[in-house]
Amino acid sequence: MKLLQVEGLSKKYPQFTLKDVSFSLEEGEIMGLIGKNGAGKSTTLKSILNMVYPDKGKILIDGREFRQFEIECKQKIGVVLGGIDFYNYKKLSNITTVTRKFYHDWDDFAYQKYMQMFELDEKKRVNQLSAGMKVKYLIAIALSHKAKLLILDEPTSGLDPVARDDLLELFTQLVKDGSRSILFSTHITSDLDKCANSITYIKNGQILKTAKKEQFISYFQYLKNPDETDDLNLEEIMIRTERKTYHV
Amino acid sequence: MFKLIYKEFSLAAHPTLIIFMFLGLMIIIPSYPYTVVLLFGCLGPFMSFLYARETNDIFYTVLLPVKKDDVVKGKLLMTIIAQIGQLLISAPIAVYKIVTNFDLNSIGIEANVAYYGLSLISFAIFNLIFFTNFYKTAYKAGQAFLLAIIPSTVVNVAIEAVSHIPATQWLDGISREHLIKQLPVLIVGIIIYAAFMALTYKISVNRFRRVDL
Repeated sequence: MKLLQVEGLSKKYPQFTLKDVSFSLEEGEIMGLIGKNGAGKSTTLKSILNMVYPDKGKILIDGREFRQFEIECKQKIGVVLGGIDFYNYKKLSNITTVTRKFYHDWDDFAYQKYMQMFELDEKKRVNQLSAGMKVKYLIAIALSHKAKLLILDEPTSGLDPVARDDLLELFTQLVKDGSRSILFSTHITSDLDKCANSITYIKNGQILKTAKKEQFISYFQYLKNPDETDDLNLEEIMIRTERKTYHV
Repeated sequence: MFKLIYKEFSLAAHPTLIIFMFLGLMIIIPSYPYTVVLLFGCLGPFMSFLYARETNDIFYTVLLPVKKDDVVKGKLLMTIIAQIGQLLISAPIAVYKIVTNFDLNSIGIEANVAYYGLSLISFAIFNLIFFTNFYKTAYKAGQAFLLAIIPSTVVNVAIEAVSHIPATQWLDGISREHLIKQLPVLIVGIIIYAAFMALTYKISVNRFRRVDL
């Protein structure tokens, strides 16, 4: 079943246009949204979440139109916005006390379990957490309100290789039982090699390709030079697609 | 609604919002321009808007299971509580001063029934301009404050002036007859405040819906 459907999302800025973005995410799937900086990844995610006002387009979460059922849809979503920290000087316990009140399905037992699992101390302030721990705290919150869809905007940016690997392993575990899905944007293609099932590639505000990972990789093999025998990996696909020539 | 208020006061409000609310007690100061107190009723919310911007409160709130409109609703409720709270905190002192005829204010308006009605009008004007300008961008708090505080200060000066103009001196009175005569001013103040808050919400929400965070 499709947990997320994005249909014809368009948004015009003076310098940039998001044009007719459409893709969908199945239950139990991890989808990587890739593209270079400024390609429209964050705009797409923010438009899905009603943080950006799109000119056109429809978002369906679990079959329901997001803008019409905003509250119900948000009950099922967990979000991590890379580089945006909330209430840096507040303790995690304070933030949790407020947050839990907004969710019907909040599970305190699960919250304690995930806080212990992720080795998070509730008495710590947000600014005392490492970048990886901040992501994990928001994931703990999402899991405690039984979020089915996790939308993560560049969650691995700025993390050291160990923290990144740890987080990617966690993503894989989260979708294992098939009840949750993850959509995460990244420009670090090795993240996708490790955990994504499907990939959506966005270039200059338009979807270049959205497909299962294997199909995606085989589609772009036309970029191979005649003398190359090995398949191009995601990084090479992205570099060759985006490569510019300068005539200085 | 209560969840939003709880969130505002637990996470988003700057401590000065509460401190400034208690500055309603300043009407105990003898011979003082009591409309200065109203400035704190505008400064408290303004400081909280700056603090909210610093703490990314909008991002946190908009991702909760609430409507985008509720971001505005939360801030408006917080402001109403701070301003009405400030007036209510000052009210017992005003009653005491009137009943005991304690230290009449030679500077400006007395803290009487008219003062409360006119204070509500001053707050209503500030809120309408501040909120509707802020939610054009959801980050230009300083500009919105400047645009709002100038007209509300003009209103405050006019409120203080009533005690010096013979035709409006009944607004400065604390006799029983004067207080009864001032009651319509309080009622009009309440109506204007309520109507302006509804209008403020409507315009701000319409503007904020189109803001790209």
